[in-house]
Amino acid sequence: MSTAGFNSQNGTGTGQTYANGPSQNPVALQQLPGVSYGMTHQPSYNPMPAKAPPPTGPGLYPSAPYQPVPPVSSYQPGPQITSYPSSPGQPLLPRPPLSGPPSHTPPQSASPSPGPRMPPAQATPPPPAVSSSSYYPSPQQPMAPAWQYNTAPPPMGPPTSISTPPRGPVANHVNPAASLAEPLPPSLAPYSTAPPPRVSQSVTQPPGPGMPPTSMLGYTQPGTAPPPMNPMVPNTYQPGRPAYGPPPTGPSPIGPPPIMKPTPPPTGTPVANTTPPPPKGDAGLAQPGPPGRHLGHYPSLPPGYQNASAPHGTSSMHPAMQAAMQPYTQAPQPYQQPPGGPGPAQLSPSLAAMSLQSSTPEALRVVNLLQERNLLPPTPVPAPTPCLPQDLQKINCNPEVFRCTLTSIPQTQSLLNKAKMPLGLLLHPFKDLSQLPVVTSSTIVRCRSCRTYINPFVSFLDQRRWKCNLCYRVNDVPEEFMYNPVSRSYGEPHKRPEVQNATIEFIAPSEYMLRPPQPAVYLFVLDVSHNAVETGYLNVFCQSLLDNINALPGDSRTKVGFITFDSTIHFYNLQEGLSQPQMLIVSDIEDIFLPTPDSLLVNLNECKELVQDLLKSLPTLFGKTMETQSALGSALQAAFKLLSPTGGRMSVFQTQLPNLGVGALQSREDPNQRASAKDIQHLSPATDFYKKLALDCSGQQVAVDLFLLSAQYCDLASLGCISRYSAGSVYYYPSYHHQHSPAQVERFQKDLKRYLTRKIGFEAVMRIRCTKGLSIHTFHGNFFVRSTDLLSLPNVNPDAGFAVQMSIEDNLDDMQVVSFQAALLYTSSKGERRIRVHTLCLPVVSSLSDIFSGADVQAMTGLLACMAVDRSVTASLSDARDAMTNAAIDSLTSYRQSVLTIQQPGLLAPACLRLFPLYILALLKQKAFRTGTSTRLDDRVFAMCQLKYQPLFYAMLMIHPALYRVDDLTDEGALNINERTIPQPRVLQLSVEKLSREGAFLMDTGTVMYLWIGRNCHPNFLTQVLGVPNYAAVPENLYLLPELDTAESQRTRAFVGWLRDQRPFYPSLHVIRDESQLKANFMQNMIEDRTASALSYYEFLLHLQQQISK
Amino acid sequence: MILLTMVARVADGLPLAASIQEDEQSGRDLQQYQSQAKQLCRKLNAQSPDRCTLEAGDMNFHYLIAQGVCYLSLCEASFPKKMAFAYLEDLHNEFYDQYGRRVPTVTRPYSFIEFDTYIQKMKKSYVDSRARRNLGSINTELQDVQRIMVANIEEVLQRGEALSALDTKASNLTSLSKKYRSDAKYLNTRSTYAKVAAVAVFFITLIIYVRFWWL
Repeated sequence: MSTAGFNSQNGTGTGQTYANGPSQNPVALQQLPGVSYGMTHQPSYNPMPAKAPPPTGPGLYPSAPYQPVPPVSSYQPGPQITSYPSSPGQPLLPRPPLSGPPSHTPPQSASPSPGPRMPPAQATPPPPAVSSSSYYPSPQQPMAPAWQYNTAPPPMGPPTSISTPPRGPVANHVNPAASLAEPLPPSLAPYSTAPPPRVSQSVTQPPGPGMPPTSMLGYTQPGTAPPPMNPMVPNTYQPGRPAYGPPPTGPSPIGPPPIMKPTPPPTGTPVANTTPPPPKGDAGLAQPGPPGRHLGHYPSLPPGYQNASAPHGTSSMHPAMQAAMQPYTQAPQPYQQPPGGPGPAQLSPSLAAMSLQSSTPEALRVVNLLQERNLLPPTPVPAPTPCLPQDLQKINCNPEVFRCTLTSIPQTQSLLNKAKMPLGLLLHPFKDLSQLPVVTSSTIVRCRSCRTYINPFVSFLDQRRWKCNLCYRVNDVPEEFMYNPVSRSYGEPHKRPEVQNATIEFIAPSEYMLRPPQPAVYLFVLDVSHNAVETGYLNVFCQSLLDNINALPGDSRTKVGFITFDSTIHFYNLQEGLSQPQMLIVSDIEDIFLPTPDSLLVNLNECKELVQDLLKSLPTLFGKTMETQSALGSALQAAFKLLSPTGGRMSVFQTQLPNLGVGALQSREDPNQRASAKDIQHLSPATDFYKKLALDCSGQQVAVDLFLLSAQYCDLASLGCISRYSAGSVYYYPSYHHQHSPAQVERFQKDLKRYLTRKIGFEAVMRIRCTKGLSIHTFHGNFFVRSTDLLSLPNVNPDAGFAVQMSIEDNLDDMQVVSFQAALLYTSSKGERRIRVHTLCLPVVSSLSDIFSGADVQAMTGLLACMAVDRSVTASLSDARDAMTNAAIDSLTSYRQSVLTIQQPGLLAPACLRLFPLYILALLKQKAFRTGTSTRLDDRVFAMCQLKYQPLFYAMLMIHPALYRVDDLTDEGALNINERTIPQPRVLQLSVEKLSREGAFLMDTGTVMYLWIGRNCHPNFLTQVLGVPNYAAVPENLYLLPELDTAESQRTRAFVGWLRDQRPFYPSLHVIRDESQLKANFMQNMIEDRTASALSYYEFLLHLQQQISK
Repeated sequence: MILLTMVARVADGLPLAASIQEDEQSGRDLQQYQSQAKQLCRKLNAQSPDRCTLEAGDMNFHYLIAQGVCYLSLCEASFPKKMAFAYLEDLHNEFYDQYGRRVPTVTRPYSFIEFDTYIQKMKKSYVDSRARRNLGSINTELQDVQRIMVANIEEVLQRGEALSALDTKASNLTSLSKKYRSDAKYLNTRSTYAKVAAVAVFFITLIIYVRFWWL
């Protein structure tokens, strides 16, 4: 019985949906007539170099300690899975090579459920597809292996059949749209309110009558079926309808596999067709329907799944969501639960419980990436929780501050090598925290041998002794520590705040000071050449500083100074008592000297008026300058001399390539090579002048922040060194101009405000310690490594992130947990010496599957990005790209070979890594690493700087921007913060197929937001939010949302404002239309789509699959 | 030339304020003086003379203790002593005015680091040769600086060390003599036992002899 029902469903749903897609859309067919995207195609899109069996691409993270330059070849694929040749027809194998296809069915069950499942349907023929379908669920639930087995065998169409996907001009996977007859608007359809379109579509569909079932599937589950796989396709493909009769073709293949019990009798196809129509009509209505039915049909499925599927269908979510959901296969659903829909949320626990039952944690649930289309969760991806006892986890460090790529640490290096995943930490140590316990005590309790600060994860042997959790030495508890200042009690050392908080700050005693705490010193070095005056940045800078001069962090000792330069260096004497600032010009730039020993850096409080005078006159002072040369090197030397007695912060504003005196640079960029697919040259510095100077600065506690405002090439690769080694930061405003780029001006203004007023730590050092047996070997970020684990940070700011790589030196056999501690010693702007300590505790595991279940895909991506930046500088960009691809291949291969007990076709990944290929692809398409798309060298280098320097949260937005539909925001599921209601639209996939002409979409890339207005955008949105009567009236350059007194406007502004509040720097907003110049930038971020030079997500997956099964 | 100025609490040597040296010319060795200054602050106590000059190579430390606060400066040896103490005196007046009452309560090092601003200003006025003349006339009635004790920095720093060395030696001696005493006792007892045992053996032999062969 059950089987029958099952089959029937499959029959309709399976391959056919896919088949429909391609066949129905004639255009598509023509475009890619017979082309299958199977392996065979591979060569055609070579952007991804194939990984040769002897791994050509060096793994990014060699198992060995770390060899930056000579790439260690990635691992040798272990035993290859011969049984799974991707090649299409190899029926011989016990298991048919259904690389992709099988999964179709499941999706169907999910969304279409109501319709097709109708009893009649059951009766109807279960075409071959069935078998595949049955197969599919199997991965999800480990419980029914046997069952799966049986089903599995049916030799479905060769994987090559997948061809369908690429067809959409833009969209990679099969567009749901594609299935629709209409070429362009297709995407719209799915978006428009859910139910109606379906019907209409079905009608319109060409296949119409002949293929009713197929069409249904197409609609009800348009997205559901991962587009490509058409098991039957090979046969059915061109012929069109006849092919569809999947049954015919299907049955035959099915027949052979003796195993297939579930695959019931190959019923007649026709039946299937007939039956479907009715369901279709029902589909809309029936969807919300009771899951119960399904249960009956699918005995094999754990009830949980069906439940899950049902809620999705419900129309509670807004149309966009619904549309988005439809395509999903069942499996992803647990993740995708829309925030708003209570139903799914409630279900998730049950799902989790279920998976537990079957002894597979949710994170390890097998996901076939080729089939599960919509893996992106609707909300930002949360960090995984380490598998620790409740009490430890409760006090563990916040993942935003301290995060590890593997939340379960492998026991041995060989195990880590086997897992093929990078091991490292990502830190955001100086993050602005809303709540931070501060401890003042004369003695700071630390381990006597390894100097670890006492932390929540140490163990107290008794009242008087504690055991260090990093080196295991037993230490005494000092008398003073016995008293607890919080509870004012004695004898409870384990209740002290130090032992209760994983993040804590100590006020350091004088032993932690080599010299008296330095004052806050700010020196501004300003380019005033002709080019700089043209950009008009001086006005903005001076005005911002004037506005924020009282908000500069500091105390009564704060000092400021100014230097301007073109072909000469100008100093400003601001001594108290002068009636106006004195300019002192030094034209000897070869041997720079300070014209007067003091009063160039003056006390801000005492000389505020003079400083203000100077700031007011500065913009006009150079208005007429014709000097075009820039002696940046000499200016930096002068500034260094000025700051070296005290240390401090140097802010350099530069608008052109320095071309005079020391540190002069030549233009190295060949504009014709911008789009070259060959290797990118000149990613490394042209001179070591800037690096040397930066190291000198670092020694004198001077940090250099570089603001680059230039339309021309400035050789950021060389200039950036000045900030990189002095722990500064780089800000880049390409093509800045005060009139031509108002959005840049606004961003510059807001960034300056943040820059000037944010917290700052001076003369800082950071040390990262880890449990004995682990070792740290490579650091990423801006700093100078003073000794093996000590980072010298002349300045530390709240927007700086760091990453480190680790290896396992000794086996961690007898340990349950390991700990990591980052301690940042700095001088606050108030002259206090403070130590901020973060401690992270993670479990140690001994099995590969545990390691995989603890993988933190975002952290891995962030770390890989850092490693790839290093690689592109030391080796080459293509090397780095290979390495990233190999990272994905390696980890998935390792998973397939070592963890999966049941081998199945398709590209399988554990649920926790399901986004890994997507992120890797996003990295490959990121400005920093992309090839073939015109990218200015400075843009590329800047993107690289940011990847290394930004905290993970912001870096992830750069890598994989968030896309929201904003024309239909509702208060459903909204957050409520400070009495403001903030709607929470779903995060959409980055594919044009998600766009709709009737909508408005907001893309958030971290530093820039694009609001894309569809041509047929609802007039309501235009008038209520943008304040324009119609689409044509949307101004070309619109950078802000008008403050209208309408609910829609308030919602939109609340949402945008909320996004902005989440990050320190102000992202500018561009409202763009179809004709806008910026549309290209917007479209470049559509990562899942295919471009002229890069693979679509689906193609990328196929590429991975091919490499893996090699 | 005043190179370094430090204000510390006498009771525990906690530094309260300091002026960062300008070491453009004088070079790196200031670091060494700085640590000496820190040590010195810790060594000083209520019993120390309240005005003193300590010679350290071609530099002099001058210090002044008043109201539980020590004002210490490092000057070149050629810098007039009178000037130096006038400077410290000035610092004291201002510091006591501003922070005097809060001195005993603070626990954080360099709590009054903002005093640095004033120190720098004073330093400038004293170092400036033009201003020096004026100051000289102002401070004519300055107490007789000749009576101020002069000592060598090494001696002062090592005085404590010598004492502690003596202390350790004495305690070593004590423990050694204790050990000797117990050893001697032990030996005594042992020899006593040996004697007793010898006598006992003799008598036993005698008895046995008498018992078996005599009779």
